[in-house]
Amino acid sequence: MLEAIDLANVVLQTEGGPALSENGAAAIAVGLGALGTGYAQSRIGAAAVGAVAEDDEMFVPGLIFTALPETLIIIAFVTIFLVG
Amino acid sequence: MSYRISEGGGNYEYVNARVRSRRAKLFDEDDYRKLVRMGPGEIARFMEESEYETEMNALGSRFSGVDLIEYALTRNMAKHFEDLLRWAEGDLYDHIARYLRKFDAWNAKTALRGVYSGASRADVEDDLIRAGEFSDRFLDQLAEATSVEQIVELLDGTIFDERLEAASEEYEATDVLVPLENAIDYAFYERLMAGLPAGSDRAEELYVEFLRAEIDFRNVRNALRLARSGAELDPAEYYIEGGRLFDAAELQQLAGNVDELVARIRESRYADELEDALAELEDADNLIGFDHALDVALLEYSDTLSNRYPLSVCPVLAYVLAKEREVENIRAVARGREAGLSTEEIEEELVIL
Repeated sequence: MLEAIDLANVVLQTEGGPALSENGAAAIAVGLGALGTGYAQSRIGAAAVGAVAEDDEMFVPGLIFTALPETLIIIAFVTIFLVG
Repeated sequence: MSYRISEGGGNYEYVNARVRSRRAKLFDEDDYRKLVRMGPGEIARFMEESEYETEMNALGSRFSGVDLIEYALTRNMAKHFEDLLRWAEGDLYDHIARYLRKFDAWNAKTALRGVYSGASRADVEDDLIRAGEFSDRFLDQLAEATSVEQIVELLDGTIFDERLEAASEEYEATDVLVPLENAIDYAFYERLMAGLPAGSDRAEELYVEFLRAEIDFRNVRNALRLARSGAELDPAEYYIEGGRLFDAAELQQLAGNVDELVARIRESRYADELEDALAELEDADNLIGFDHALDVALLEYSDTLSNRYPLSVCPVLAYVLAKEREVENIRAVARGREAGLSTEEIEEELVIL
């Protein structure tokens, strides 16, 4: 236990600045947002294609619902301008 | 958690979107109200303008009247169920295929009954539903068979094999078809849940939940029929394993006494769903009414499950049930009109949610 704390002290104190620069953090935020969007769209997209296959009129609602998760990545995109 | 279901399990989103769309296209109460007042010709025309257009046109030149309607109905149903199998992938496919084997069971029973009653080949073929696992060629062979033994032999190697073999001795001794039919049903229900990895994930749990409900309902129905008919039959023989409501011994005890049986169902987990059915039984003392109420209860239960768990196998099974009901309803209307039944009498025969 003591050794672990010693080790942690060393690791935390040796380098002065944060491990991640502001730009780096922003990049991670955007990347995670993109992953979330992709995950949501894959499932909604599958359902939307199914619905459109049954009924052409579902095309527009399907498209809207498929595009909704885009908000995630668009909002994540804002962080780039806030930081940079 | 849900991610695992959709990745390992199959394309639930896609299939469910399509199934729900098809479900919405089934005839509703208004359609039935119109249908009940139509003659066979009008029903045929009504169907031509609906979901059944393709089948009606394809078969229209060869058949007419109520036969045309029946052919179109079963063919359309078979088409839809084949579609389900075509879309589904992974575990979802497996679950649907297991359930659709019920049409194999149906076809095997139809062939047996046809031979037993001396029906012509064409009549047997009318009633085959080409939706299960059996190929078209195999079904033709079944329809062509001329003796019960031949059919049992044909079914050698299918899932009904073992059970049928045992039952065919009893058939030879008694010359009654019931043991063979039960053997087929048994084999089907045995295979429904056998080999499912027990409680491994949510999708499987729901599938089992749904099937248990159906088996329970079937046991209830059998028990009541036996109790009502007062026949000297061993109820345990008609018991289907896998349900949760009661076990074989309990069933044996309860089948002798309708009141006790009803009381037992009232206390069970299905009390809410079966309330109407039980009321029907007590008020009217009417087994047909009870049967229909049970059907409605099962439909409602399947809908509840599929609304509660939208991304699971439940909506698909609920659709299968609903489609079957629709086919049976329309057939009842068409046959009823042909036989000259009154509107009220036909309405009683319908099972509408």
